[in-house]
Order: sequence, then C-alpha cells, then structure tokens
Amino acid sequence: MSKKASKISKKKNPNMHETTCPPNMELVREFRDEDTKEAGLKIVDYSISEDKTLYQNHLHYDQLYTWRFGELSPYCLGLLEGKLMGTKCPTCGDVFFPARVNCWNLDCKWIKTEWIEIAQKGKVHTYTVAGWSGRSSLKRLPFVLAYVILDGVNTAVAHEIREIEPWDAEFDMPVKVKFIPEDKRVGAITDFYFVPDDGWEPSPMNPEKERIKKLCEPVYEWVKTL
Amino acid sequence: MTETKKVCVIGGNTTPFDYNNLHMTIEAMAANAFHETMDDLPEFNPRDIDFVVYSHFSVHFGKQLAPEWIIHDHLGLVGIPHFRVENGGNTGGCSLYAAYALVKAGLADVCPVIGWETMDTVTQSQGSEFIALASDTRYELLVGGIYPIFYAAGALKFMKENKMKEEDFALIAMKNRNNAMDNPKAQWYRNEHKYITVDDVMNSRLMAYPLKKYDCCLMSNGLAVLIVCSEEYAKQVAKDSGYVTIDGVGLSSCTIRAGDRIAFPGWTERYGPGYPDLTEFAACRNSAEQAYKRAGIEWKDSHKQINVAEIHDAFSTSECQIYKALGWADTDTIAEFVRNKETFMEGSIPANPGGGLMGYGHPVGATGLMSTIECFYQLTGKIPQKHLSNKSQVPDARVGLVNSHAGTGTSISNFILRTAEGGR
Repeated sequence: MSKKASKISKKKNPNMHETTCPPNMELVREFRDEDTKEAGLKIVDYSISEDKTLYQNHLHYDQLYTWRFGELSPYCLGLLEGKLMGTKCPTCGDVFFPARVNCWNLDCKWIKTEWIEIAQKGKVHTYTVAGWSGRSSLKRLPFVLAYVILDGVNTAVAHEIREIEPWDAEFDMPVKVKFIPEDKRVGAITDFYFVPDDGWEPSPMNPEKERIKKLCEPVYEWVKTL
Repeated sequence: MTETKKVCVIGGNTTPFDYNNLHMTIEAMAANAFHETMDDLPEFNPRDIDFVVYSHFSVHFGKQLAPEWIIHDHLGLVGIPHFRVENGGNTGGCSLYAAYALVKAGLADVCPVIGWETMDTVTQSQGSEFIALASDTRYELLVGGIYPIFYAAGALKFMKENKMKEEDFALIAMKNRNNAMDNPKAQWYRNEHKYITVDDVMNSRLMAYPLKKYDCCLMSNGLAVLIVCSEEYAKQVAKDSGYVTIDGVGLSSCTIRAGDRIAFPGWTERYGPGYPDLTEFAACRNSAEQAYKRAGIEWKDSHKQINVAEIHDAFSTSECQIYKALGWADTDTIAEFVRNKETFMEGSIPANPGGGLMGYGHPVGATGLMSTIECFYQLTGKIPQKHLSNKSQVPDARVGLVNSHAGTGTSISNFILRTAEGGR
C-alpha cells in the first residue's frame, strides 16, 4: 500500500506550480500607513445604562493578513507593470479576466490555462451609480461601477469608471483602462480603473440622467461632511 | 432511501428583529425563542431533540468562532449531535435543507434549526463591508463594491430589458414595509413604524441606481428557531396545533462573480446561450424547478398552485427578478404582474405578508428560518395569533413557497410547504 502511494506521489501533476520550496520572498515593498499595527484583541471602553442594568463595551481587533496569490501571481505582477494579465484555455479557447488558472468547462477536465495579455479596451455590459458603499470607499461617492467586457474576453469584470459625470454612464459605452502612476501601484485591481474611450461623448441630458443627477446631489453634500 | 417518508415543520419563533435595540446574548435569544415555542406546542418535549442544525453566516460580527457551541451548551443539549451550516444569505435555506435531509435519511427524528446574526456590533458601512467579504474580495470588494452595488448593476439591465420603471420596484418595497406594520416582531414595525408610499421610496437616498434606501433590506440583530421533524413525530405532538409537510426542496448554485454569468458553460448547457447574464437568477429557476417537480407543481402555472410565498427580498428589484425565476411571469408579463399587485395581500399570490427582509429584517442566519416560520404560520392559520390582526393572514392558504438566496444569486433554495391533512 505504502509502496503504491509513493509511486503515485512521484507522478508529476502538470497543473502544479513550480517554485523553490520554501520560496524566497525577498523583494519586499511596504506601503502600510504608519499607524498600522497588529494590536490583537483589546477592550477599549465600556458603557453602562442609566438604570445600571445593561453593560456593553467596544472590542478592538487589529490583524494583518497575508494574501498569497500563488498561481494567480502573474495577474498581480502584470498590474505592477501596467499590464492586464488574463488566461486562455488551450483546449476550448475561452478567455478569462479575472483570470481562472484552470478552465471552467468540465469537458476540459480542469486543464491549466495559459497566461495572456488582455486588451485594455472594452464595452460597458451594465453599470450602476453608487451612492453608498463599504467603509473604505465612502469618500469616493458617488461613483460609477460597471461590469466591462474587455475585448476578446468571455467574462465581465466589475470596476469603477472615472473621469465622467456619474449620470453620463451608459450601456455599451466604449471604455479604456487607465493605470495609476507606477510608484503608487500595489499589485491589486485598484492599480487601474476605466475611463471613457477616446472619442466618446456623453449623450444629451434626458429625464433618466436628470433623475440620477438629482439623486447624486445629496450624496456629494454628505461626502463633504466625512 | 424511500421517497415516502415525509418531513414536517411543527413550530418556530423568532426573537424580535432589531438594530442596536436588542440587548440579548445569542444563547438567551435561543432559549427565549424555544421557550415561546413551548407555549405553541405543549406536547413537544425538549428531550425528544436528537439533532440540531445551526444556521449562522458571519463570525466576523461576533468575533467568536463556533458560536453555536455557546448556544448548544447553554440550552442543555450537550451530547446531542450538532453542526453549523453557512452558505451566505442562503444560510437559513441551506440549514433547513440539511435538517430536511437528516430527517428524510432517518438520521434524525426531531431536528430544530437555530439561526441568528448580530449585525449591529459594527457600524452600518462596516457591516456592509463584512457582508461583501462574501464577494470575491480580490476583485470586487477592493473596487468599492458591496452587495447593493452588485445587485443594482444587474437590476438596471433587468429594468431596461423588461421595460420596467423604478416605480414598479418601489411598489414592492412599499408592500413589504407596509405588511410589516401588522407584525410586532418586525424591525420596521419596531423602529421606523410608519406606512409608506411609492413616493417615499422614490425620495429615499440613493444606494446604487436604481436602488434607493427603501428598496433595500434592513441590517438586523435577531434569532429564529424552527422545529423540523418526522411525520410520525408531528402526528404525535402537533395534531392539535397544526403542522406542515415539506413537499418539495430545491437547491442550486451560480458563480461568485456576477460578471462570469454571460457565457458560463454549465448554464449554456441547461438553458441555452446568454442566460442568466447579470439579469436573471439561474440558481433560483433551477432550484424552483427541482422543488416544483418534487411537490408535483407545474412550472407553467406555478403561481396559481401556490397560495402564499416568502421571498428573499434583499432588494425590491431582486424580489421582482425572483418572481420571474420562479416562473410566475416572463419578459412580456413581469411589468404587468407587478403593476397588477399580484403579490399584495389582495393579489393572487401574496408575497412576504410578514414583511420580508425589507420589513421584518435580515439577520442573515435567521432570515430563511424567519421566512419558513412565517409560511408555517400562514399554512396553519396562526397569523392572527402571531401578528396584530388577521389582515396579514392569507385566507385558506394551503400551499406555500419559501425562497432563500445568497451572494448575487450564488446559492438559492426553494421549498414547497403544504398544510398537513387535518393540520389546520
């Protein structure tokens, strides 16, 4: 039994990522805020009701996470260089951005996909104008979040369209990728965003655009108070 | 395994659902909900419990791993097997699915399901971000996306393709909130406490176009207990109080990232190219097909064979998209279906008479159970006892649908419940 098992373990799986083990993660670049610290669990206050029957407190918990991108690393490394790296199935030809490192088509038996550079132009499949978001995005409101199909890709990617009045976004509008300056990039999706493609002009105001504009007004006012 | 063994629901209760005003520990909430259920079911003996399924979504809110261990211990159930189910917004539905499977397989006879979420431990925006940790964080959360934004992007395209207006969705938002005004445990009743109009929805603040604040569900603290058991046990303890049989169950899944739904091979194989896109809920259609088939309900006039429905109305738009995925309307008829108020109390298939997620509240792990409990009350005629009046009771309801829904439609379950013979 053990003899057989050791034989199987020697068989090379072509899907496995080749690397030195343990890898030497020696190229480090830090951009954490000065006040980022791992404080762990700490009770930072308490409060008691007026009638002295109820107690509550605030627990603060601060933790740094390591996100290991493993097989997806070419995507992150591509962003640092100003490239959009996606994948293509060598069998069925489907193209993915965001990348899938194994094909989604069951007939392709989870074959490892190949990394390819993706076009930095595409079309808006659908979109919304956000007036509320998670804690880390409130100050950017209101913003346009669109699902964009990049040229030649079988999936859509969700991202922000900037350099546009939110109410001017529209279905099928052509967009292009704009990267943030190289020294600001962190190897994450926020290293780029979409902007209207060259030559695109907003359509004239219409009742729906007026409606969205009106809905945005109090959001601009509220953000000023943050 | 034979298909003859029936699985039943004999009772259940929720705590009030609330935000910032519910000063109860999770273990006390569970004990109180059980205690209340003992009043409804005097023959039920806690010693008959032989399995417990726990339904809880995010341990981020409590900063406590395996919080079900605290509850189980507190309830005095040590020694009884338990596990927790987690499947996003469909956690409640999947917990019911698990309890159903356990009883159906003969591994349990009496299997309560206990679900909760304590979402008011952090600020609303932090809570939204915690929930959005169920999106593919590497891509979607980082770009500022939270669920109302993902849903809105799908809903806007749905609105255009189905020739609908913001006001149509506002009708649904108004319905559920106003229904909740007959339900004293509902968060809307306990907090905002007012009847609203379509204009109120239209004038509420922008969340993500076309969704405004009143198109969105409530973030809640609350717990629910639902008692699932074999038919033999139901006959033994619930003959007088009434019970329901779970006649159809269905569960399906879809992609985590909504952007991957334009040409997913599995859906193309099942339903043809271009479906579900970002506009339709394929996992709802697929799970409804399973549930209808098991319950002997015809797809084409399912809405005529179901008397009442509890739908996962995380957003007014998604309730509407769900009507379509349940086969109640198609692209040509959905606008008319909504405008005719078919799902209002006076309509042909009332949906969310107890308020749904927009009126009752959405403490995620408790939500699908709350929906099941409300449906159980409807089918056993208990609404006048449980709500404030009989105006939210669907007269003579005998067939009910419960829908539970996760992610951007990433996991969806549907159940068909029927009043047991003599069970009303």
